[in-house]
Amino acid sequence: MSVISEFSFSKSFYALTLAALLSACSGTQDTENLYTALGGEAGVEEIADNFIMEIAYDDRVIAYFEDANVDRFRQFFIEHLCMLTDGPCVYTGDTLIDTHVGMNVTVAAFNAIVEDLMAAMNKAGIAIGTQNRLLARMAELREQIIQM
Amino acid sequence: MINTMKLSIAPYLLLVSLFVPCVSAHADGRIKGTGGVSSVSGAGGGGLIAWATLTSLASEQQRGFTAFTTYTDLDDFTLEVAGAAVNFNDRVELSYARQRFTIKANDAQIAQDKYGLKVRVAGDLLYGKLPQIAAGIERNRLLDPATARAVGAVDDNGTDLYVSAARAWIDGPFHRTSMLNVNLRYSKANQYGLLGYGGDDRDTRVQVEVAAAMFLTRSIAIGAEYRQKPDNLSALREDEATDVFVAWFPNKHFSVTGAYVMLGEIAGAAQQNGFYLSIQGAL
Repeated sequence: MSVISEFSFSKSFYALTLAALLSACSGTQDTENLYTALGGEAGVEEIADNFIMEIAYDDRVIAYFEDANVDRFRQFFIEHLCMLTDGPCVYTGDTLIDTHVGMNVTVAAFNAIVEDLMAAMNKAGIAIGTQNRLLARMAELREQIIQM
Repeated sequence: MINTMKLSIAPYLLLVSLFVPCVSAHADGRIKGTGGVSSVSGAGGGGLIAWATLTSLASEQQRGFTAFTTYTDLDDFTLEVAGAAVNFNDRVELSYARQRFTIKANDAQIAQDKYGLKVRVAGDLLYGKLPQIAAGIERNRLLDPATARAVGAVDDNGTDLYVSAARAWIDGPFHRTSMLNVNLRYSKANQYGLLGYGGDDRDTRVQVEVAAAMFLTRSIAIGAEYRQKPDNLSALREDEATDVFVAWFPNKHFSVTGAYVMLGEIAGAAQQNGFYLSIQGAL
């Protein structure tokens, strides 16, 4: 039994090659520093302020922030964002594991926060491509936030 | 031959879909768009093939529900599909679809039921090292087997098995979130089973299916699909199926998908191309 007929194979091969080429493009490096693309200090502060407002009105996640000190959260979020985007900052807060341990962050809550951040960036006028550069870096941190 | 009752659930499903946005939802634990749309078999996916993604946006500890209806207008045929699916904990998906295929020349119709089960085995579409890997089974039964028998099919029912892997890159090509899905399917279906299962000219039992998609914005995705199909009947030629699509997700509870489908030769009619429109409501 031929598993894949010859004629069909050529077409699937083209489809796979096309897909491989497309995904290879994702390795393209952008020269612009991500912190700068987000608007530097002012941009990151605006995102942080919008983000806090989004969370405040989000019934899905607000319970997680009941005991949070908003000023402290704002400061460390800005520092962390700055560090994560190759900005000129040093993050002085606790590790993400320490800050999230015991919170039992669910998959749904994590994704709700991602949506709040997207909304915060939209309101700050951040282009979708720049948003995705940041979200991809943040996605790497997921395992430190959702303790499975 | 004409079975007016056979797609009678469609208007109700349409109604459900329209009212879905008005109902407060609890199964929205995943990012908009990551539940895909409803495929012609009823399983969560793209359009012509199932994907590794499970229907709706239900995440762990949530239950999601989708209903859809699809209309495809080809040169010599139409295909109407209506169905529904549930997702338990983003782990198990159960789906049902009723297909009604109409031959324009004589208004003859062939109806088919499709029942599906899909399990997310490992991984996640967006996060972590593993792609999302799912395994599925589709049980198909023709309600009008006469045509299938006439063209030499062996059975009027059949079972498809598939494994599927999907990976999305948040920061993909052009900094757009993009996805690649690859399936391996075991199937004896002739033209999705509408012309029965198996035949006198047994062809490959294992087929490759591929889909690629890209979110241009958070609400609009474009993409393409390819489905290899077996060619089991000596009397009739069967080709691969391909499509290009645009899907619009205005919110987490409703989507509209338009596609141009190229299905090749069907039942002796060459080069069957046409438009595909599908709407889905999700809870």
